Amino acid sequence: MKVEFWGQEFQVNMVVGCIGGFLIAIMSSMFGFGGGPFMVPLMTVALRLPMYLVVGSSLLAIFFNTSISTMRHYQFGNFDLIFFLAMFPAALLGGYLGPQIAKRVSPMVVKRIACVGLILLALNLLGIY
Amino acid sequence: MKNRFRILPWLGLAMVMFLGSQCVQAAEGEALAAPTIQVDKTTIDNGGTIKVTGKAAPGQPVYIEVWAEGHEVRASRFDSDVDKETKKRPYIFYLTSKMPAFYKILVPKDLQPKLDEAKKEGSKWSYSVLLKDLGADIAYTVPAKVAIERYQSSLMASVVGSRGKLLPEMDEKESKKRSMQLVKARFRSIGNVLGASVEVQPDGSYSASLKVNKGSAPGQYKVVAFVDKKVKSEPAVFENKISFPTVYMGNAGTSMNLIYPFVLTLVVSIFGVLMGAGGGFIMNPLLITLFPTLPHTVVAGTVTPTVLFSQGSGIYNYSKIKFINWKLGAGIGCAMLVGGFIGPKLTEMITLDQFKFAFGWILLVLAGLMFWQTTPGYIQKNKKEQAILKEFKKRAEESAKAK
Repeated sequence: MKVEFWGQEFQVNMVVGCIGGFLIAIMSSMFGFGGGPFMVPLMTVALRLPMYLVVGSSLLAIFFNTSISTMRHYQFGNFDLIFFLAMFPAALLGGYLGPQIAKRVSPMVVKRIACVGLILLALNLLGIY
Repeated sequence: MKNRFRILPWLGLAMVMFLGSQCVQAAEGEALAAPTIQVDKTTIDNGGTIKVTGKAAPGQPVYIEVWAEGHEVRASRFDSDVDKETKKRPYIFYLTSKMPAFYKILVPKDLQPKLDEAKKEGSKWSYSVLLKDLGADIAYTVPAKVAIERYQSSLMASVVGSRGKLLPEMDEKESKKRSMQLVKARFRSIGNVLGASVEVQPDGSYSASLKVNKGSAPGQYKVVAFVDKKVKSEPAVFENKISFPTVYMGNAGTSMNLIYPFVLTLVVSIFGVLMGAGGGFIMNPLLITLFPTLPHTVVAGTVTPTVLFSQGSGIYNYSKIKFINWKLGAGIGCAMLVGGFIGPKLTEMITLDQFKFAFGWILLVLAGLMFWQTTPGYIQKNKKEQAILKEFKKRAEESAKAK
C-alpha cells in the first residue's frame, strides 16, 4: 500500500503491519494497556517508516484498539466506575503536568530509570523476588 | 408346630428391641441441640476483629461460616485441566455473579497443622479436598447455592470473541463442586477462606476470633455456627462500616481508599509522559502488586478506558496540525480492532498467576526496548529522526496556522 505524507510517498507492507498490529492488539487489550511502546518499534523497524509519520498514525491505530477493548471490557463487566473515577482525573492532571516536567529532565535518564523499574516489576510479577 | 409358636414371641421381642434401639439412636441425633451464637460487636469500622462466642453440644467440633450479605461479586474459572476419566480437556468456562464478596469458614484451632500443610502446596491447593479434610464441608452452604452458568468454549467461539455455548444447568451436587472451585478462583489464598480459630471447651462453649480485613465489602455480615450439616445456630449479624474516602467498588468487590489510586495514577501518568509510553504498562502491574484484593480483570478493564482519553487528546492535537496519516493509521487500526475484540475475553479466561506470568515477560521485553533506545547506535539514528520530525512538525504547524 502506498501512503502519502507531507509531500513524500511511502511504500507500506500492510500484511506485516496488520499481522503485527493484530497480535499487539490482542496482547494489549488482554492486559489493559495502550500498546504504543510496541507499535512504534513495529512501524519504524519492521515497516521502515520514518518517525514523523509514525508518531501520529500509530496513536490512531492504538486508539481503534483501545476503544473496542474498552467496550468489550465493559460488556464483560470488568469496568468499575468508581475505580475509574478515582484514576481518570489523576491521569488528566498527569497528562497536563507531564510535558512541563519533561522539558527539564533528560529522556535518557528517564528511560534508564524506567528500564530498571520495569525489570524489577517484571521480576516481582514472575515471583522471582 | 410347638416349636414355631415358641420362637415367634422371641422374634417379636427381638424386633421390638432392635427398633427401640434405633429410636434411641435417632433421639440422640436430635438431642444435638442447635448451638447458640453471639458476637461481641455489631459494627466494625473498615475491617476489624470480631469475637464470636456461644454454646454447642459438648464434645462436638464447631465450624463457623461467615459471609457478606447483600454484596455479591463475579467469580469465573476456565476449566482446561485434563479430565481424569475421559482424558480430555473440557474447556468449560464457569461463571457466577452471585459469589458473596466475603466468605470464610472458621474451623477448630487444633486443625491448624492441616491448614499449614495445605499452604505449603502453594497455588495448587484444592478447596474441596481441604474442606473435606477439615470436616468443614458441613458448614459450606452459602456459595453452594449460587447460580453458576457454564459455557462450552471452542476455538471458533474464542476467535469471534464469545464465551461459547451456554450449557444446561448443573445438578445440585455438580453445582456445589464447581462452586468450590469458584470460591478458590475468587479468593485465591487459603488464608482468605479458611481460618483455624475456634476454641471449644469440654462443656461445649466455644469462642472464635474472626478477622475481617481492611478493604472488605461493607454492609451486613452473617455468622452461623455448625456442629453438623443440619444442626446450626441462628445467624448472628454484624455490620462493616466504611466512610469516605474509602469507597466500595461493586465490580471489584473490595473497598478502597480512593486517594491511593489517585496518587498512583498521577505519578505513573507523569512518568509515562516522560518516558514516552502510555501509563497502562506500569499502572496494571503496580495495581496488581500493590492491591492484591483487586481482580486482574477489573484492573485491566478499568485502566483501558483511562488510557483511552489520553490517546484521544493526543490524536486531537496531532489532527489539528494534520500530522496523522489517516489511511495508514486506520488500516493498521482495523487489524487492531479485531485483536481488541478478542483480547478482553481472554483476560477472564486466565488466572491471576498466568496474568502475572505473561505480564512479567511483556515487561521484560519492554525493558529491553527501553534499553535499546538508550544504546549509542539508536541515539545517533534517533537524533536524525527527531530532527526531521521537528522539521516536519514545524511545517505542519505553520501551515495549520496559515489556514
